[in-house]
Amino acid sequence: MPRKSFLISPELCIGCRGCQTACKGWNQLSATKTVNYGSVENPPDLSPELYTKIRYVEMPSETNMARWLFVSQRCMHCGDAGCMRICPAPGALSRTDDGAVVYDKEKCIGCRLCVTSCPFDVPRYDENNKITKCHMCFNRIAEGLLPSCAKTCPTGAIQFGDRDEMIGLAMKTGYQKVYGEPDLKGLGALYAFKDAPKIYGMKENPAIPESVVFWHNVLKPLAYWGVGGAVAASLLHYIAFGPKKFEEVTKDE
Amino acid sequence: MTNHWVDLRNADVILVMGGNPAENHPISMKWIMQAKEKGAKLIVVDPRFTRTAAKADVYAPMRSGTDIAFLGGMIHYIIKKKLYFRDYVVNYTNAAYLVNPDFKGPGELEGVFSGYDEKGRKYDKKTWSYQMEESGVPKKDPTLKDPNCVFQLMRKHYARYTPEKVSAITGTPVEKLVEIFELYGSTGKPDRVATECYAMGWTQHTVGTQNIRAMSIIQLLLGNVGMAGGGINALRGESNVQGSTDHGILFHILPGYLSVPSATLVDLKGYIEKHTPKTKEARSVNWWGNRGKYITSYLKAIYGSAATKDNDFGYAWLPKLDEGMNASWLVLFDQMFKGKFEGFFAWGQNPACSSSNAGKVRKALGKLKWMVNVNLFDNETGSFWKGPDVNPKDIQTEVFQLPAASSVEKEGSITNSGRLAQWRYKAVEPAGESKADSEIMNELFFRVKALYRKQGGKFPAPIVNLTWDYGEKGAGGKVKKIDIHRVAKEINGYYLEDIFDTKATPPKQIGKKGVLCTNFVTLQADGTTSSGNWIYSGSYTEKDDKVINMMSRRGKADPTGLGLYADWAWAWPVNRRILYNRASVDPQGRPWDKKRAIIKWNAEKINPATQKPGVWEGDVPDGPAPPLADEKAGKLPFIMRADGVGSIFGPGLADGPFPEHYEPLECPVQENPLQRKHRINPTVKLFYAVKGPHAEPAKDGGAIEDFFLSCDIRYPFVATTYRVSEHWQTGVLTRHLPWQMEMMPQQFVEISRELAQDKGIKNGEKVTVSSARGKVWAVAIVTDRFKPFKVMDSTVHQVGLPWCFGWQAPEDGSGGDSSNLLTPTIGDANTLIPETKAFMVNVEKA
Amino acid sequence: MSNMIKKTSAFEIVNHWAMAISFFILVISGFGFLFHLDIMNSIFGSFSQMRDIHNYAGVVFAVSLFFSIFNYLAEAIAFTGEDIAWLFKGGGYFSKNARVPAQGRLNAGQKGFYLLLLITGIAISATGLIIWLRPVSTDINKWVLLSHLIHNISFDIMIIAVVSHIYLATLANPGTFRIMVYGTVPVEWARKRHARWLEKKGV
Repeated sequence: MPRKSFLISPELCIGCRGCQTACKGWNQLSATKTVNYGSVENPPDLSPELYTKIRYVEMPSETNMARWLFVSQRCMHCGDAGCMRICPAPGALSRTDDGAVVYDKEKCIGCRLCVTSCPFDVPRYDENNKITKCHMCFNRIAEGLLPSCAKTCPTGAIQFGDRDEMIGLAMKTGYQKVYGEPDLKGLGALYAFKDAPKIYGMKENPAIPESVVFWHNVLKPLAYWGVGGAVAASLLHYIAFGPKKFEEVTKDE
Repeated sequence: MTNHWVDLRNADVILVMGGNPAENHPISMKWIMQAKEKGAKLIVVDPRFTRTAAKADVYAPMRSGTDIAFLGGMIHYIIKKKLYFRDYVVNYTNAAYLVNPDFKGPGELEGVFSGYDEKGRKYDKKTWSYQMEESGVPKKDPTLKDPNCVFQLMRKHYARYTPEKVSAITGTPVEKLVEIFELYGSTGKPDRVATECYAMGWTQHTVGTQNIRAMSIIQLLLGNVGMAGGGINALRGESNVQGSTDHGILFHILPGYLSVPSATLVDLKGYIEKHTPKTKEARSVNWWGNRGKYITSYLKAIYGSAATKDNDFGYAWLPKLDEGMNASWLVLFDQMFKGKFEGFFAWGQNPACSSSNAGKVRKALGKLKWMVNVNLFDNETGSFWKGPDVNPKDIQTEVFQLPAASSVEKEGSITNSGRLAQWRYKAVEPAGESKADSEIMNELFFRVKALYRKQGGKFPAPIVNLTWDYGEKGAGGKVKKIDIHRVAKEINGYYLEDIFDTKATPPKQIGKKGVLCTNFVTLQADGTTSSGNWIYSGSYTEKDDKVINMMSRRGKADPTGLGLYADWAWAWPVNRRILYNRASVDPQGRPWDKKRAIIKWNAEKINPATQKPGVWEGDVPDGPAPPLADEKAGKLPFIMRADGVGSIFGPGLADGPFPEHYEPLECPVQENPLQRKHRINPTVKLFYAVKGPHAEPAKDGGAIEDFFLSCDIRYPFVATTYRVSEHWQTGVLTRHLPWQMEMMPQQFVEISRELAQDKGIKNGEKVTVSSARGKVWAVAIVTDRFKPFKVMDSTVHQVGLPWCFGWQAPEDGSGGDSSNLLTPTIGDANTLIPETKAFMVNVEKA
Repeated sequence: MSNMIKKTSAFEIVNHWAMAISFFILVISGFGFLFHLDIMNSIFGSFSQMRDIHNYAGVVFAVSLFFSIFNYLAEAIAFTGEDIAWLFKGGGYFSKNARVPAQGRLNAGQKGFYLLLLITGIAISATGLIIWLRPVSTDINKWVLLSHLIHNISFDIMIIAVVSHIYLATLANPGTFRIMVYGTVPVEWARKRHARWLEKKGV
């Protein structure tokens, strides 16, 4: 089955936040009590009750009084997902045939390691200490529906479909490259950026933390081979030298 | 909208001014962004850098209330640079008409047009007339050179609106003005089209109507009316506000924009005589010439068999306005405030928050004996008696709360801004004891009618004769359950007799008794047809004995590729998607713009109706007549105008035939920068008396609730109000939705960094915003999206705040209260729509 | 068997096994986490339960590590010239007839092992606590990542060292295992291996 992905175009986003509400609707997430803290952006951060949000970036502009960018923020469904790499609980995080990184709260052990190894600071923990995040509406897409955010987006700022087609769509629209290809074996949320990603609050070269890669590639096998090696060395030693004998030593003394 | 939502994608240039579609009409941005992807340029003019501005190719800030200066500057530029579409202007507008030589403009008469009556604050429009030929048609100069022709008068009028002058008034930098004028003016070519989107940012001013008039002039000059991707598009603020306006929600119009009769018009003949425009222009269709048919069919629809030729079809039963009487919003509440009303139905509205000067409205509600609040939720209106600073003991008003069903709990049609009537179905049963509005009306009507029958009353006829055949009747003749389809059919209308086209020989039958009307073309003035709303005639019809609800159609075919989707639902009139589309072709019927040919005349093809060659192809044309160049039968494109052309000169309005800049009632400048004598619109109705040329508040000028202060140190900052995507109108529907509340939890005021620094206000701090009428607290959003304006060489700060909050919900009061506690009691000179978009406030740390 | 000598106290023995048992639980569960071993569900009930057991076993391990300080640290850091010479001879393990310098109660290998265990044990316990409890800090994710790295490095070192320790304490040195069972060893056995200790004790 071809991998699916979002194509998010901040140029088309009007910041209406229909996606934020639609996501809550489909996932039946409750609201949090917020205050206006001097911004139209609210809630201020992703939370167990907020899988996706629009980030409002207000910045200086050469032609106008300001430049105002609206950036959809959510799980990126990385092709090589830091959360999946580090997660110690089998089945807690998995990838669907569509490429969605999904989770099973029953299997989540609440260790929060996924939080630390996510390059995009996405996973949040609910009141039962279980992972929550965008799951690409895996239960909708499996039935051939669009994810609720993409379904509700009025301007096509959030598109969804086969990943190759999404890349093609961005290219057709005139983007030379899309953010999320080929980083992390390709993101499941591609972004069509007109400017440098950092302007939109995104990392230039997203990557799984080096220590996690080192752990995954070196330390983990070392634990396996280390034990085996030590046992094997012991056996070899036993065969070669046998148990230690001290008779001669005593005589020498 | 002259055009429709999808059509926005056909434009080359889109001007958003007086509106904020990204926040208030998000779906419209689907089409605007599609246009942009095809290379169209989006221009946004707004005091604040909005979410729409964030998408703009060109953005210009402009001080609230100075739109006419801005647009006048554009007219000046278009004429000076000869960017106008000459063929269109000469053939399809009144630019060539010669005006009475006695006509004078504000440039000559210190701010007023000729005929001004200072005491009566109105115009004698005698000089606003045309020079007539003997044949009774206006004299014309197609060369546009006669100094008295409309074009030259317009040129002269707007010669005063130089970019420098406009900049000094609006605060918009000159180079931005010129950039926008140039870009928008580039659509004066036949193959370039621009459209305009506006909403309350244009209407809610003392010069609201003239704001739109100014734009109409520009669109006519550039030949953008009637074109695909053109027109002037009012983005309606509610999903069905177009429908409610069509169906006569305003005090002065009956359904279908038929005027409400005044008491001096004692019979139907007098009414028709007064309200039916006449013309000697043979090439004008003058569609309103049919008004007699429509009012008669309307009377037949509402009074049924009780309406007979002998009783003037029940004309006498229609409610009448006293001559010159105005019963618009501000006046109603002013009367209520003065204790003139006993009762009030607040039906699906929340005036305690939505009305300009809401503080006065809240007091007015306390003067009532009773009030019925019909809504989905209780609101600030229903609970006004326990609101802030109100002691319930002092309030005698008895309040009845009737829970209404929401739009998804009932079936029926809604009409969107593009005049598209779409049928919607019931998704769920109404919650609890709530009822559909039609059922609430059914209950009320039955009881009121029974009381009239029993007690007689002063004037029972209009009630007891009203038709109410909307379902099976039970005990006492009450309709058990409203069948909304029957309502829709009554609106469409029926042939009450067999109808014949008497002009044909032999007379051809066009309607069969008892059958739903095909469309309004077949409506009759003799009581043989009925139609509850003539413009909707054709929305629910019969063909080959099959009843068709046109509004429920869901065809997706788009043969022109222009997004007309003619088989999707139904648009009034007669499923025409773009109004005045005959102006999109040249006099020979060839499209001005071949890429976007909305209609075209095919001279060879046989017309199935007439069996003669010559037929229009594309959208439903504005009448089947051949194009203008046809000497015998050719017709002018603007069929709703008596003279058949677009009005650059508009003598119909109260405040002048050309839009002129006047300052808002409350503004930051002492005098009108254009002239010294008339700061504010000289014809505006005053609720608080003014004195002197600067229109300062007169001593004891009225109730303190209506007080205002302009150019006053106590309220030095220009303010405007707006909506946000996250809330609906006053927020009655959305403040009860936690998902919406978490996104927009509290009243806020957006202020510039410069002002924040001056006032020592930090981002996120609570501040008090006050005006001459009231105050509210708000959280300060300190932003670069507001910048101080340079107006007449001084710095003017502007702030803005939304009007979606109210004390009643959220219940803990954390949301704040309505910003309409600040707004003034003043309205547009023509419509009296309140001026909530420009007023003066102060902002202080709370 | 009358000429036995007490080498370890009862407390030391209990502490050793507390540490050993907790260590094995930690290793098994740790391997479960590392390699997503489904069998752990049958052993521990669920991974969530296993996580709790891992954490609390870690506490037992850390406490026993703490108490072990009193048993070994002073001796372990007291390296003598003979100890170094012993190490140079590889403890005599790589010859069938090794001659090694005389050793105290703990030989240099044991001292080294203990120091290694102590350092990695402290590291693994501290980092385990950080991963588990995520003490509030603005940069908690960085701290947890670093902890996760150190935790795993320590684990790798430890697991190799402990396998060797087990081998040396059992097959490689018959008679050693009883030290952690009875606490006593034959004097003659001890004289061969821990001559200096006996000297010191005047035996």
